[in-house]
Amino acid sequence: MTVRQTQTTCCYCGAGCQLLFTTDVEANKILDVHPVQGRTNDDKACLKGWFGWDFLNDPKILTKRLRAPMIRKGGKGSPLEVVGWKEAISFVADNLTKVKAKWGPDSIMGAASARGPGNEPNYLMQKFMRACVGTNNIDHCARICHAASVAGSRQTIGEGAMSLSIPEIEDAEVIFNIGYNAATSHPVVARRIVKAREKGAFIICADPRITETARISQLHLPLKGGTNLALTNGLANVIIQEGLEDKAFIRDHTKGYEAFRELVLGYPPERVGEITGLSPDDIRLAARRYAGSRRSVILWGMGVTQFSQGVEVVKSLCSLAMLTGNFGRPSTGTGPVRGQNNVQGTCDMGVLPDVFPGYQSVADPEARAKFAKAWGVKSLPTEPGLQLTRVPERVVHEKDPAKRIHAYYIFGEDPAQSDPDLAELRETLAAIDFVVVQDIFFNKTALFADAILPATSWGEHDGVYTSSDRGFQRIRKVVEPVGDIKDDWEIICLVSTAMGYPMGYGNTEEIWNEMLDLSPKFTGATYGKIERQGSVQWPCLDKGPADTGTMYLHKGGHFATPDGRGIFGTAHYHPPTEVENKDYPLTLCTVREVGHYSARTMTGNCRTLRNLEDEPGWVEMSPADCLSLNVSANDLVRVLSKRGAIIARCLPTERVRPGAVYMTYQWWIGACNELTISSLDPTSRTPEYKYCAAKVERIEDQDWAENEVRRIYTDIRSSMGIAREDARA
Amino acid sequence: MNSFIKANPGRCIGCRTCLISCVVAHEGRRLFELGYDDYKFNPRLFMVKTSSVTAPIHCRQCETPACKAACVSGAIGMEAGRVLVNANKCIGCKNCVLACPFGAMDMVETGQTMPDGMPKCVALKCDLCAGVADSPACVRVCLTDALELVTESELRDEIADRRRAAVSGSWTQATL
Repeated sequence: MTVRQTQTTCCYCGAGCQLLFTTDVEANKILDVHPVQGRTNDDKACLKGWFGWDFLNDPKILTKRLRAPMIRKGGKGSPLEVVGWKEAISFVADNLTKVKAKWGPDSIMGAASARGPGNEPNYLMQKFMRACVGTNNIDHCARICHAASVAGSRQTIGEGAMSLSIPEIEDAEVIFNIGYNAATSHPVVARRIVKAREKGAFIICADPRITETARISQLHLPLKGGTNLALTNGLANVIIQEGLEDKAFIRDHTKGYEAFRELVLGYPPERVGEITGLSPDDIRLAARRYAGSRRSVILWGMGVTQFSQGVEVVKSLCSLAMLTGNFGRPSTGTGPVRGQNNVQGTCDMGVLPDVFPGYQSVADPEARAKFAKAWGVKSLPTEPGLQLTRVPERVVHEKDPAKRIHAYYIFGEDPAQSDPDLAELRETLAAIDFVVVQDIFFNKTALFADAILPATSWGEHDGVYTSSDRGFQRIRKVVEPVGDIKDDWEIICLVSTAMGYPMGYGNTEEIWNEMLDLSPKFTGATYGKIERQGSVQWPCLDKGPADTGTMYLHKGGHFATPDGRGIFGTAHYHPPTEVENKDYPLTLCTVREVGHYSARTMTGNCRTLRNLEDEPGWVEMSPADCLSLNVSANDLVRVLSKRGAIIARCLPTERVRPGAVYMTYQWWIGACNELTISSLDPTSRTPEYKYCAAKVERIEDQDWAENEVRRIYTDIRSSMGIAREDARA
Repeated sequence: MNSFIKANPGRCIGCRTCLISCVVAHEGRRLFELGYDDYKFNPRLFMVKTSSVTAPIHCRQCETPACKAACVSGAIGMEAGRVLVNANKCIGCKNCVLACPFGAMDMVETGQTMPDGMPKCVALKCDLCAGVADSPACVRVCLTDALELVTESELRDEIADRRRAAVSGSWTQATL
């Protein structure tokens, strides 16, 4: 037996933990996995890091790995048939070419992957869409999570990423968590918050629920859902009214302060208390504490961005940090902590409709000329492309066929599980002429695919991920892929070449090097440097060893804006789009389950993670609401909104307020996105997952409900071709 | 004095990595090659969440265990500072479950079947990973160091510290 040890970066969450795999090479089998020393994780990992590799064994618990290309030869409605790669690639290329010829390049949409594939295939995917197809219609799931952070931060401080690094969090003196529960989304980041508290930091948590983060905070601000902007304006109000602002920093490093000041002066703590339900004294205390330190940090997550005012709240948070001079030194600044392992990287690679790799605008003629020359095309599209959350609008709600999306190339995403208002999304996918799914698992989106291209998984290929704090880290092949499958980058090259734009590379490093030379912010981060340092945080401008990367941004108060000055910004608060009413008296907010990840195709196929939490998923409710609805723990209940109805299990908890219910989004049966609303932030186009009106109904016949849950689960699996006998009884 | 595992709710984030590690330690890594219903997921510690506290509950490895005293079949014994259940002797009477003041004893299905076709249930509790790992698996994997194996000497040091704090008047809840 040949035993090999391979270090790689974890495939879950943006913390970027380092894991050491021990494998039996001949048997192609994983013998052991444990965390090892890394820049962000020390030698720690959470349950997903320790036990979340099990899907590589393909135990077919939830769904099954894709092992060969499949196409619908007879068109829509015909069965998926297994074919060879040659046939699959020409099928995809021919159909995309036909759509392009008939409806133009902007009728094709591409969605790329913030998950397993890594940076190199994502670089190629946007290159394919821009240079080969000729459109900027390329986006990814940052749209449904931190797009508001990217937009809001870039408008104020010029850079959309975390300004500080994960390890710096533990040396902060004040940590203001808002809409962020690290304990479930990034346990390894939560560890830094716990350590900071033990070192004496003051922890503030603004969250409607008593989350684990709220529990370890000294000050919990249980604000009413959807009132973030009132709170942040209120905090700025107190800071200014009490003269706690950093006048020198404002004068030397910012602009737009007067308008900001004028707006927030309309939000005294008493008024904010009425809107948010918080005590004015708690608002004052939070503001004084935050403004009272030079090492104050703001961390936020989906509880900020997944609202229709997400961008404004992000601008307001960046403004709070500017107001108090909390930028440009260690252990201070702003932390939009990225959810998925490579969502920072997928943004870095220009998988966004408005920027090339390295955040270079598609509207900038110089950038366009540079990329056109490097990619060997005459010109590149000038108009920003379509955001993926607007695909339904451009399919089912678009009357003019010439303006519709006619082909959708979905690479490593599962919108039929993760996007809001799933009924509308299914209608959209069914109406698109040609859908390509490139993935590792059969998922709900694949049911709508005209062609399925099976790819290698994390653990089966090499590459680079970007951690949430801008850290490039290597991923390495641990086991050999099984079946007739290919690396994502190779598949994209084949499709592009078949469409008349040849692309070919020997390995991921060749792709990386091409990207580095086109992206000044990343140019210095060579494979060699990443190998030597373990992690290289961008900006890293020079390839020489002296440039080791950048731990924190905006040093000395020099912001990444064109003139180096931060720009204050905020807006007036308004309530969420759909508020509770007579028919739907509860509010539904979607949250995270610590042991499951994204659409759950990976973690749902890990034995022990599935043991902790499984279908149909929970609906967290206050004991008071349970009492009035006459439902108890573990009862199956029906949860409804205007858009749909699902069955979930009741979880009474004192940690939620009466009138609000919470669900996690990865369940097939208790799929809360059947209920969520597709209203979008006007700038970032991020959906309002965190707030819609809902109701819960008791189900009298629990035996019927239990059978119904089993039936739905079996039906979904059999529609994916997973044998009935595999289904869990 | 028996060693025991102490949980610190000020550090616990409720992630339950400890629960899985307990099962993997006791089932062995063969678990990852079994059919997904061919093993039992029976952690020997239990995550408890109230509105203000999150922490796993473990057996305290009592010096005069109530579970042992209540056991009618001689299935619960003391061995090298641990309170252990012998599953072969357990008759499933549940006296130990009722006797334990911490709720640290559980009744679990073993995967075997009784003569009447019903699943066999026995008592199960923390054994400090006796015979399955060098040190308790839950302590080893905890990413916030919220779990600690407390030995006699460590407990004596802790008691001495508290006495010093008490005489100097500086004892507070925070030193817990």
